[in-house]
Amino acid sequence: MDSMQSKPREATGSDLSEQIKAATKDSHVRAENTQLMLSYQKGQITPTQYKLLLCSLYEIYQALEEELDRNAAHPAVQPVYFPQELARLESLELDLEHFFGPHWRKRVTVPAATHRYTQRLREIGRNRPDLLVAHAYTRYLGDLSGGQVLGKITQKSLGLSGNKGVLFFSFPGVTSPNRFKQLYRSRMNSIELTEQQRRDVLDEATTAFELNIEVFDDLQKMLSITEEASSEKGNDATSKTLSKTFSSSPVLQFALGVGITLATVGMGVYAF
Amino acid sequence: MELHSSKWPSIQNGKSGRHICSLNYVKMEDGESQLLSDEGQTPEPLLGSLDIFIFSLIAGLLIYWFLFRKKTEPVLDFKTFPAVSPPIPETSFIEKMKKTNRNVVVFYGSQTGTAEEFANRLVKDAHRYGMKGMAADPEEYDMSELSRLKEIPNSMAVFCMATYGEGDPTDNAQEFYDWMQGTDDDLEGVNFAVFGLGNKTYEHFNATGKYTDKRLAELGGKRVFDLGLGDDDSNLEEDFISWKEQFWPAVCEFFGVEATGEDSSIRQFELVVHNDINMNQVYTGEMGRLKSFQTQKPPFDSKNPFLAPVSVNRKLNKGGNRHLMHIELDIMDSKIRYDAGDHVAVYPINDAVVVNRIGERLGVDLDTAISLRNLDEESNKKHPFPCPTTYRTALSHYLDINNKPRKNVLYDLAQYASDPQEQENMRKMASASPEGKALYQSWVLDSERNILAILEDLPSLNPPIDHLCELLPRLQARYYSIASSSKVHPNSIHICAVVIEYTTETGRVYKGVATNWLKNKEVTENGHKHTVPMYVRRSQFRLPFKPSNPVIMIGPGTGIAPFMGFIQERAWQKEQGKDVGETILYFGCRHKNEDFLYQQELEEFERAGVLTQLNVAFSRDQEHKIYVQHLLKKNKEQLWKLIHSNNAHIYVCGDARNMARDVHTAFYEIAEEVGGLTHTQAVDYFKKLMTKGRYSQDVWS
Repeated sequence: MDSMQSKPREATGSDLSEQIKAATKDSHVRAENTQLMLSYQKGQITPTQYKLLLCSLYEIYQALEEELDRNAAHPAVQPVYFPQELARLESLELDLEHFFGPHWRKRVTVPAATHRYTQRLREIGRNRPDLLVAHAYTRYLGDLSGGQVLGKITQKSLGLSGNKGVLFFSFPGVTSPNRFKQLYRSRMNSIELTEQQRRDVLDEATTAFELNIEVFDDLQKMLSITEEASSEKGNDATSKTLSKTFSSSPVLQFALGVGITLATVGMGVYAF
Repeated sequence: MELHSSKWPSIQNGKSGRHICSLNYVKMEDGESQLLSDEGQTPEPLLGSLDIFIFSLIAGLLIYWFLFRKKTEPVLDFKTFPAVSPPIPETSFIEKMKKTNRNVVVFYGSQTGTAEEFANRLVKDAHRYGMKGMAADPEEYDMSELSRLKEIPNSMAVFCMATYGEGDPTDNAQEFYDWMQGTDDDLEGVNFAVFGLGNKTYEHFNATGKYTDKRLAELGGKRVFDLGLGDDDSNLEEDFISWKEQFWPAVCEFFGVEATGEDSSIRQFELVVHNDINMNQVYTGEMGRLKSFQTQKPPFDSKNPFLAPVSVNRKLNKGGNRHLMHIELDIMDSKIRYDAGDHVAVYPINDAVVVNRIGERLGVDLDTAISLRNLDEESNKKHPFPCPTTYRTALSHYLDINNKPRKNVLYDLAQYASDPQEQENMRKMASASPEGKALYQSWVLDSERNILAILEDLPSLNPPIDHLCELLPRLQARYYSIASSSKVHPNSIHICAVVIEYTTETGRVYKGVATNWLKNKEVTENGHKHTVPMYVRRSQFRLPFKPSNPVIMIGPGTGIAPFMGFIQERAWQKEQGKDVGETILYFGCRHKNEDFLYQQELEEFERAGVLTQLNVAFSRDQEHKIYVQHLLKKNKEQLWKLIHSNNAHIYVCGDARNMARDVHTAFYEIAEEVGGLTHTQAVDYFKKLMTKGRYSQDVWS
């Protein structure tokens, strides 16, 4: 067996952890700038939005973690297999139960993009487990970085005290997110890949980001449609200003009140 | 997707509020048409036209009323401190403070809401100290008015400033930050204090907090208390609490204010004495469930530690005046698993002699069963430690009586000193005045006075023991790097530790709680086995995934602990037929024939070819000091090749203060001298190694 000791390495650039970060840089920026994420970062996350997001995260992590578990012994998965520290499924189930009650399973709703995402994960798990690391990296390392900030924002925006409902964001098995990420990167870098496999992993990571972006966009669409259905579009400026004007101007209210009264009286008289 | 009208009272976002409003609007419209169609269907002229007129008038008024009654405005702005929200947006915080009679303003530079939360808590605290505070977002106020703060008597501005990204202020503090940089206002007479929220893993740790503190002083402001630096990578909450517990006594001293002006200091808990309690209901040292020590049930963790029997306890050093020990804990049948590099946490017990002396000094029967109940019924923290329990148990298992008490303890106990000089000294030591600080430094810190020493040296001080129990911090678990590999020792966890014991200036002997307690757990032939309440805390300190990967381990003194585990594991891998790479150890101690820890084992590993290189520095065996970093430099070519060309992983364990830094410097020099890098490049190189998980540290101070 060719000993690793004699293999020369470049100072930088040949580590998977560095390459994958560079390859997904643009996608990362685009993901941050989706409508949903922008609102999120501003603290404009409503319980409805968050609950919907949880539903999609649940299905995504269910697929990801089942595929990781099945392929745990695969040489490209074993080094980065950290179920004790990273697994999210149980936390998501508890969060969903917190919001939807004991029959939460029946109330999980996901858009088409989430289905595509989970399908992709199943496919990779079945046919190309060597690419699972791309998906694990994209989700888990994100959860341990910006995800931590989103967790705090969610807690504040939804007025939640303690961990209830935001267990997804907390990693009790990880004492230092930073140190864990360092360990995870060293594990990623120890996965042996051919040149082709490496290129495929980088491509799959970009795909993973795209799938996430599509989920965010689909969720955003779902939420907008629902808001329309209750006769108030979140983005409709006119109805917003209209109702705002009504509730803030007493003169307008009185005039309208008199108008309605007269109209009702008139109609009542007219009818007879 | 459903919108429930039951959401109405809990709306926090204006948008949702409008959703609900319009839904009701829709409902009302239906109701209205319902009314009209009902009328149209009446066949007989039951109602005359006057009746119809009046009826429709009433209907019209009702409709108007339903539509336009004042909706309870949903609480839109969660930023505003609930008790204080005047309707007119006032951009002058000075005016606002004057109008609402406040003398303390706490500004927050917050991104995720933590700094804001801290600010609100400080405002709450202020009330306990007879001050009226308000939390304020610097973005909403004209910060250039800061110099006007002196218009308000006994005023103070506190800043909770978080640092983001590359040492930047948070979005809402950007304007204030720019103002600070550009202004030359005179802030004389402006009293201030700063608490910074940061994260040590970032290069510019707490840059914003540090800058704010420095700049406000430069501009002439009067610092009421030292800058607090919170570290989110460690424990931000704890840092905040320790800081503010010392901050408030200093504030009281600064303004000459008593805690509440009343005789009794503000107690958080009330004492309940249980005269007739069943001893089965009393805690005897458990951390969570009552009787968890008697009936042990996995899984074991911080709330439910496992009582591991001590199977080995031997002295490691052959000479010298220190006592280094190797201890083995039996974890058979506990289902506890661990990996080499993890930490074992133990819950120690205080010295019984000290506990008894406290009881005697305060004239109390330590075996009284008591509870301390939180006066704030809404608080999550019902008791400061598991209750009901006895004073003896509390002082032995739950409270830290060994460390030097913090300033807030002195301040709160001062009221119980009947001698005016003693009382004054106690208050002074808690203050931020230069003489007070100096006195605290010398009398408490340098002289290593613990609470018993303070009680004995201040004879007029007679606090009630329950108040003391409220003030003392919790006794913390101690963590040790596990010195064994679970592949070789699956049912045993090894510890390597040095017993802390030294004589202080006052002639008192300082004894480390955990190490002395462990030392006394001797293993006897026939005797009952001592147990240690413990659990495992997973770490990220790990051997490389591939056994063929070279490792460079640097662990002088007790820092060698995790490396015993690493080396045992590499030996096991070799036995398994795996291709094991270079395994290099750098160890250091004082004298070869005194404290060369695990000499026999290490030389055995070297002979077996598991340890491919054993480098030991004996610091005191010659005129000049030789430490591990000197040995590293000696082997610079070999090391650089391993690091740069062979993907070696570097591990450093032990003293954080000096050794870790010196080792880092040695590596920079190696990169510069052998690798030809500039200093900046070298720093960057090793930073990258850390990011990639190839340079790990398990260090303690």
